[in-house]
Amino acid sequence: MNRRPYLIATIAVALLALTCFTLSPENSARTKRLFSSFYTPLFSAQKTAQTTSDYLTNQVIPRKTLLKENNALKRQNEILELKLRRLSTLSRENRILRQKLKMQPKPEWNPRLSRIVGRDPSNWWRSIQIDLGSSDGVKIDMPVMANGALIGRVQEAYAHRSRVALLGDPICRISATIAETTETGILSSCGGTIYDPTLAELLYLPAGTKARVGDEIYTSGFGEVFPRGIHIGKILALENTSGDLTTKASVKLATNPSLLNEVWVLMP
Amino acid sequence: MKAFLTITILLVALITTYAASAWSLPLQMLGTQLDPLPPLMLATALRTPITTIAILAIFASLTQSALSSDPLGLSLLPLYTLGFIVHINSHNLLHHHIGSRFALGAIAGAMIPLMSLALLLLTNKEPLIGWFSLWQWAASILSSGLMTLIFYPLIEWLDKSVEEQPLAAPFDTTTTIIRHRRFHE
Repeated sequence: MNRRPYLIATIAVALLALTCFTLSPENSARTKRLFSSFYTPLFSAQKTAQTTSDYLTNQVIPRKTLLKENNALKRQNEILELKLRRLSTLSRENRILRQKLKMQPKPEWNPRLSRIVGRDPSNWWRSIQIDLGSSDGVKIDMPVMANGALIGRVQEAYAHRSRVALLGDPICRISATIAETTETGILSSCGGTIYDPTLAELLYLPAGTKARVGDEIYTSGFGEVFPRGIHIGKILALENTSGDLTTKASVKLATNPSLLNEVWVLMP
Repeated sequence: MKAFLTITILLVALITTYAASAWSLPLQMLGTQLDPLPPLMLATALRTPITTIAILAIFASLTQSALSSDPLGLSLLPLYTLGFIVHINSHNLLHHHIGSRFALGAIAGAMIPLMSLALLLLTNKEPLIGWFSLWQWAASILSSGLMTLIFYPLIEWLDKSVEEQPLAAPFDTTTTIIRHRRFHE
């Protein structure tokens, strides 16, 4: 047996593996971006297939159903417009009061709808790919929402796609506040939450916390990555061992990301 | 090197990795993602030269990590190790029966996640692991065994379809001429 090709292949693979592991995060992200371009035709094909499928589905739906749905949406739209007008007045009032108190104005956020085009192929992480990228204005750390609740943050932004680290992923740690007690902790992941994508843990709550099961959790706004007050979920259980300086809480997230097809990216 | 076959295998790797990422049904039903690369590497290692195995390991691991939060090329060493071991033992491995193919695929499906996890922990990453990971591992073993039953005939068919095959000899090639040693004297 000629051993030369085996030796060359093994040395080449070992050197490449070593290079990959020692690359800086920036170069690693750049290389990932380069290799993700191989999927561009597949992403385009998927988008076309989905658009065609949506079009065909719309053609099949009877006119009567569409009219009924249209009427319901019109009514809902009117109610929402009334609420929006009231909120706009409150927002204007809030802005004026903040100016008078010489407080920093709150940043405005523009949500943009995006479609989920893929999920993390490995089981160690919770992340998704969306069809908006840096060319659409997406930047790293932008909050991502669905069904009125936070589901994660942008981890990597490519030209036409982005990867979103979901809540409960070891990479996605955020500061969260309990609405009832205003106590703050860090929303994180642990091995015990892996079986359910709607579970996460709230760490570093005070030892004598007044939080109760069922209390609602919102983003704290600390660190200025996420706006304050985005709904996250509610407390499922509290775990406080005597002698510990902190309390740990199990959190049921408001949205199950594995059942979603579309998400909102909050852009400033 | 079988160039056409290598390119076709790389395309299969790209499409199946993408399909595993885009198709969320296994994740919703079983709570786990299915990895098509271990059975593909196994089927490839049984039929192709070492250069194809190395190219597949490099390309598949880099493209897979492009879709994942994994560190770049995490599965490069595990995939190549699997391919290398299978390739150098391909004559000793019983791979012509469905049962043995399933068993080999299952072993491949067990080996790759363990090696990847070891590499993750060695590089100080904090992957999401718990008791449920054992279920995910079991599902990976089973799915890898089943996928081998698809990939093995696929690679066999591709090898026959895209590569030039030697023409059949016009005489009986099983006949061996044995001459007495005095013939050479």
